[in-house]
Amino acid sequence: MNALTSFPTETLVSNAAVSVTKVPHRARLSLRARGDLGPLERALGYSLPRKIGGVTLGTACLGPDEWIIMTDDAAAIMAACASVDLPHSLVDVSGREISFEIEGDRAGELLTLGCPRDIDAIADGTARRTVFDGVTVTLWRDTSERFRIDVWNSFAPHVAHLLEIGARELAAEMA
Amino acid sequence: MLLIHCPHCEETLPEAEFAYAGQAHIVRPADPMSQTDEQWEEFLFIRENAKGAHYERWRHLHGCGRFFNAVRDTVSDRFLTTYPSGTPRPDLSTLTEGKA
Amino acid sequence: MSYRIPGRGRIDRAQPIRFTFDGHDVEGFRGDTVASALLAQGNHLMGRSFKYHRPRGPVAAGSEEPNALIGTRRGKGQFEPNTRATMQELRKGLETTSQNKYPSLKFDVGAVNDAAYMLFSAGFYYKTFMWPRNFWHKVYEPFIRAAAGLGVSPTEEDPDVYASRNMHCDVLIVGAGPSGLAAARQAAGKGLKVVLVDEHSEAGGTLLSEPQAKIDGVAAWDWLSSTLAELEAAGVKVMTRTTAIGYYHENFIGMVERLTDHLDEVPQDTPRERMWRVRAKQVVLAQGALEKPLVFHGNDRPGVMLAGSAQTFLNRFGVLVGKRPVVLTSHDSAWYAAFDLAGAGAQVQAIVDTRAEVRADLLDQAKALNIPVKLSHTATATSGRLRVSSLRVNKVSGSTVSAGSEIKCDAVLMSGGWTPSLHLFSHTKGKLAWDDDLTTFLPSDTPEDCVIAGAGRGLWGIEAALADGAAQAQAALDALGQAGDAASYAVDEDRPGTGVMHKELPTDKQPGRAKAFVDYQNDVTAKDLRLAVKEGMRSIEHVKRYTTNGMATDQGKMSNINGLNIAADALGKKQPQVGLTTFRPPYTPTTFGAFAGYHRGSHFEVTRKTQIDAWAEENGAVYEPVGQWRRARYFPKSGEDMDAAVKRECAATRSSVGIFDASTLGKIEVVGPDAAEFVNRMYTNPFLKLAPGKCRYGLLCGDDGFIRDDGVIGRISDDRFHVTTTTGGAARVLNMMEDYLQTEWPDLDVWLTSVTEQWSTIALNGPNAAKLLQPLVPDLVLTEENFPHMSCAEVDVAGIPARLWRVSFTGEIGFEVNVPAPLGRQLWETLWEAGQQYDICAYGTETMHVLRAEKGYIIVGQDTDGTVTPFDAGMGWAVGKKKADFVGMRGMARPDLVAKGRRQLVGLLTEDGSKLEEGAQIVLDPNQPIPMKMVGFVTSSYDQGTVGQPIALALVEGGQDRMGETVYIPMPDRTIAAKIVSTIFVDPENNRLKIGAAA
Repeated sequence: MNALTSFPTETLVSNAAVSVTKVPHRARLSLRARGDLGPLERALGYSLPRKIGGVTLGTACLGPDEWIIMTDDAAAIMAACASVDLPHSLVDVSGREISFEIEGDRAGELLTLGCPRDIDAIADGTARRTVFDGVTVTLWRDTSERFRIDVWNSFAPHVAHLLEIGARELAAEMA
Repeated sequence: MLLIHCPHCEETLPEAEFAYAGQAHIVRPADPMSQTDEQWEEFLFIRENAKGAHYERWRHLHGCGRFFNAVRDTVSDRFLTTYPSGTPRPDLSTLTEGKA
Repeated sequence: MSYRIPGRGRIDRAQPIRFTFDGHDVEGFRGDTVASALLAQGNHLMGRSFKYHRPRGPVAAGSEEPNALIGTRRGKGQFEPNTRATMQELRKGLETTSQNKYPSLKFDVGAVNDAAYMLFSAGFYYKTFMWPRNFWHKVYEPFIRAAAGLGVSPTEEDPDVYASRNMHCDVLIVGAGPSGLAAARQAAGKGLKVVLVDEHSEAGGTLLSEPQAKIDGVAAWDWLSSTLAELEAAGVKVMTRTTAIGYYHENFIGMVERLTDHLDEVPQDTPRERMWRVRAKQVVLAQGALEKPLVFHGNDRPGVMLAGSAQTFLNRFGVLVGKRPVVLTSHDSAWYAAFDLAGAGAQVQAIVDTRAEVRADLLDQAKALNIPVKLSHTATATSGRLRVSSLRVNKVSGSTVSAGSEIKCDAVLMSGGWTPSLHLFSHTKGKLAWDDDLTTFLPSDTPEDCVIAGAGRGLWGIEAALADGAAQAQAALDALGQAGDAASYAVDEDRPGTGVMHKELPTDKQPGRAKAFVDYQNDVTAKDLRLAVKEGMRSIEHVKRYTTNGMATDQGKMSNINGLNIAADALGKKQPQVGLTTFRPPYTPTTFGAFAGYHRGSHFEVTRKTQIDAWAEENGAVYEPVGQWRRARYFPKSGEDMDAAVKRECAATRSSVGIFDASTLGKIEVVGPDAAEFVNRMYTNPFLKLAPGKCRYGLLCGDDGFIRDDGVIGRISDDRFHVTTTTGGAARVLNMMEDYLQTEWPDLDVWLTSVTEQWSTIALNGPNAAKLLQPLVPDLVLTEENFPHMSCAEVDVAGIPARLWRVSFTGEIGFEVNVPAPLGRQLWETLWEAGQQYDICAYGTETMHVLRAEKGYIIVGQDTDGTVTPFDAGMGWAVGKKKADFVGMRGMARPDLVAKGRRQLVGLLTEDGSKLEEGAQIVLDPNQPIPMKMVGFVTSSYDQGTVGQPIALALVEGGQDRMGETVYIPMPDRTIAAKIVSTIFVDPENNRLKIGAAA
């Protein structure tokens, strides 16, 4: 689906405090399964993270039986899992959401505008669903200064709006 | 705003991530059509109004998505414990008040 | 005449600042508040009181100020009423105005209320305005409305920006006086996140008013600046101008930071205020204590103020509040105020103490300063029109009050002792304990992880405050696993003291005529409180509500303890038996902006838009909100109103083809070996045998048997269903399904994924729909035989991988094309182009509503209200008769749900061809006496459709057995007769659904 992945990176705001960028789509698959995950892992070629929040090769564990797989080749994964002999659900949600990348000294602080959860207590290299300004998002913490937020399409403008306001507010604070 | 321990995420998190889901340990009968009207009324409508420990359900809506059970003291509004759905009621006498 | 004392205070004399008060230019300095700048001009009169319009001046120097409330203005829309002049810092160009006066502050006609004092006694709302009855609308209410309220509400939109943030810390310290500073020092440097907040413009608290103190040999102000530097170096976040307004569950504290009200220019992108939502592991409340006024006749005259506040005005702002003050006290602390003011050049006229004995060192110092001392004295009156000019004092021996004598003065500095600031502690549901020695309530137990330090728990003096701040902070640190020893402090020239408690002061005059104020802001006197008790109020909560004592915006900071003492005396009980009223958040008045934060204007709430929304906007759509979505309601052409547009859209769709954005429909992908079993258990209809490639309408009920939602469900493959829900029901239905799946049937191997936003859904309806679509779907023959109504397929549409459904919500040949959401607009435009040859018409939700109603298709939530069963809705056909169980099956068999006479959905056609109003009530006999027996109501009503006359759907008792009967709809101006008919007004044989048949 070229049209899904072809829109350009769009910088919403960039300043001394933080930059907020809308990043291109990657294919996203929602995987659900339980029990002995061996057959699925053999098909995928890697081990699924078992702890909620854990991330392996772009695959985040969001619930006890739920993973989101960020990939550049959804078709290959769908094909590989099609014949797996373990009850599971694999649903293409590539078109469902978009991602914002938040990077900079004050990236974590920017998230505190909307996240009631303690951002500082989140470990690098993890991801989980949480809430930002009343909207369900998946929050990835790549490093202490780089986060990503996945949000359903129709909520994205609301989230982007607050991220933009907040980024300017943080820059003004540093001035 | 309460703090709630999600037994699946194993984290204590702000209430804003959760949704209340009513009283816990009300099991839908396996064969509803065998239930008398009184039994079905009980299942549908009759609920505790506990002063003190209350068995209730929450869902980690903006999180792992799981429904789970909790014991909350309705006087202090403190959670005594949380535990996965489908596991038995914890023994109240073993619970001491505090963050679950 | 200037009352500014050279060399005193912390104001910056190099930075004069001009502002206006009631239009007059006033000059102050950077660091001044409006109150201190006006007092420096000798101006005490700053406002009029709420009820009696009595002239008032500041009685305090901080946020507890009840009198000196002003309006402040920066520019258009930036007006704020009821700002405390004692908290508003000067900035260039600040405009301020006094309140509750007409025509001027000095001459106010409303002060006639003061003369009508007897009319406004306790409970006057309940008594005075009762009779005569017809006076209420014409006389009393307009009068009350004009007189009620403090200040004037702004009418323009507030152009300022408000912000909010969440914060998590290990130790939050509220109050940056000596206790708070010592607590912060104790907690600093241990790798913990420590936050110290204070509502004032600078940290220091009492230290700012007591520069004479030496802490560990260092002058108080030097100690303060070095301590703040030390805290900053240790990474402690010190926040000034930040008020902790509320203390909520589990150490969750709301704080408002004022960022720009003190600035001459507001920097770009800087919010005016920020709400901090703080979660602290440990909280140290170091809020200090509040000084109590003394209650005596005339204690509200401008110039009568708290002694400690006079000390603050002198030492912090370099302002002498009077040159000939008299001190009236029942506590040692006011003696120091007398000494400080004398040291600054004031001629202290006397120190009047209610006590018979006072510490010898105080007496000696007064003598050394040549200040006359009167012990065992009461005060019985003040005089002076707009400013106090004398205090009448009387000797008291036992219960005898001797004749009074007048002391000329220009200020009265009073002190009735101190009471801990208990507000935030009380928010925690903390218990209070009465202390007989201190005659006040002290904080006792709290369920929160919170300690109280210093004057906040009745410890007086800087040394005690410092020591307790350190000790209490260490207790909090111990709880965090950071054991250690509390630092100790030695303070020279400390001023600890004691005092006695009073109800209203004894008087030789008629107590019933005394205006001895307890609550300044609400104009409540001691007499009012006693009257309330006399009239039967027993609980302090009743006394409070009857008199409004403590109910003003100052939350009773000054009045609650005095009010309690008087009420307890009137009841003949001890204070703890009477109890204290509840303190509630916010601690100080808080702007609506701070609560709203970012949620205003376009960000007020989430507005969800589909991928096709922008096209609709470009094509002139009028929108309506549906849940969080905004949906195109209709697409008017120039000159069309809604009716005309909807009529055109309905006709075009029935005659050729219409295109509709159905993307907001909820969509759930149900996948797993048990998918069919799960869907079958959730919905009333049978789904086990639905073949892949087929769709079926589904009704979702609750276990109570009532309709919850509906939608079309397609079976994509054996183990994969695509379930649709109503737009508004999407989240609720998914939650309900997850609930059953996770907690009732966890054994089922099936999973639910929300795909609402994965797909853009475009509906094509009309006799030409198939013709339009066929060229774009080369891989599928769209005939009745090959792809009949209620089929679905995964197929490319216009080159886009799609899920194509043959469904109809209009009664016409219908398709719904689902494509990955971001490609929705591309497909829409392709279909729009291809449809031009058929005069394709874009229609909105209104036309959708009309067309579906003509076919009798229900809208859940419009034609059902949560008490309608599938049988009530005439949809028994949707209930699987052979199923062993589904959600709602047993519920539908409940006695009430199978009883005769239930409200059932029917169609209505009016006899006179008029359109009914939705919600209108229905009766069987229009001639029965009022109140009539209502047998139902209209749920849907339209006259823009294609039937040729208005149609309506209604829920009517036993409606399905009343076909052909006439019912009546009484309206305000007339009664409309309508015939009960089938809910299906168009094509009951469903011929129009068939490809080929309608072409």
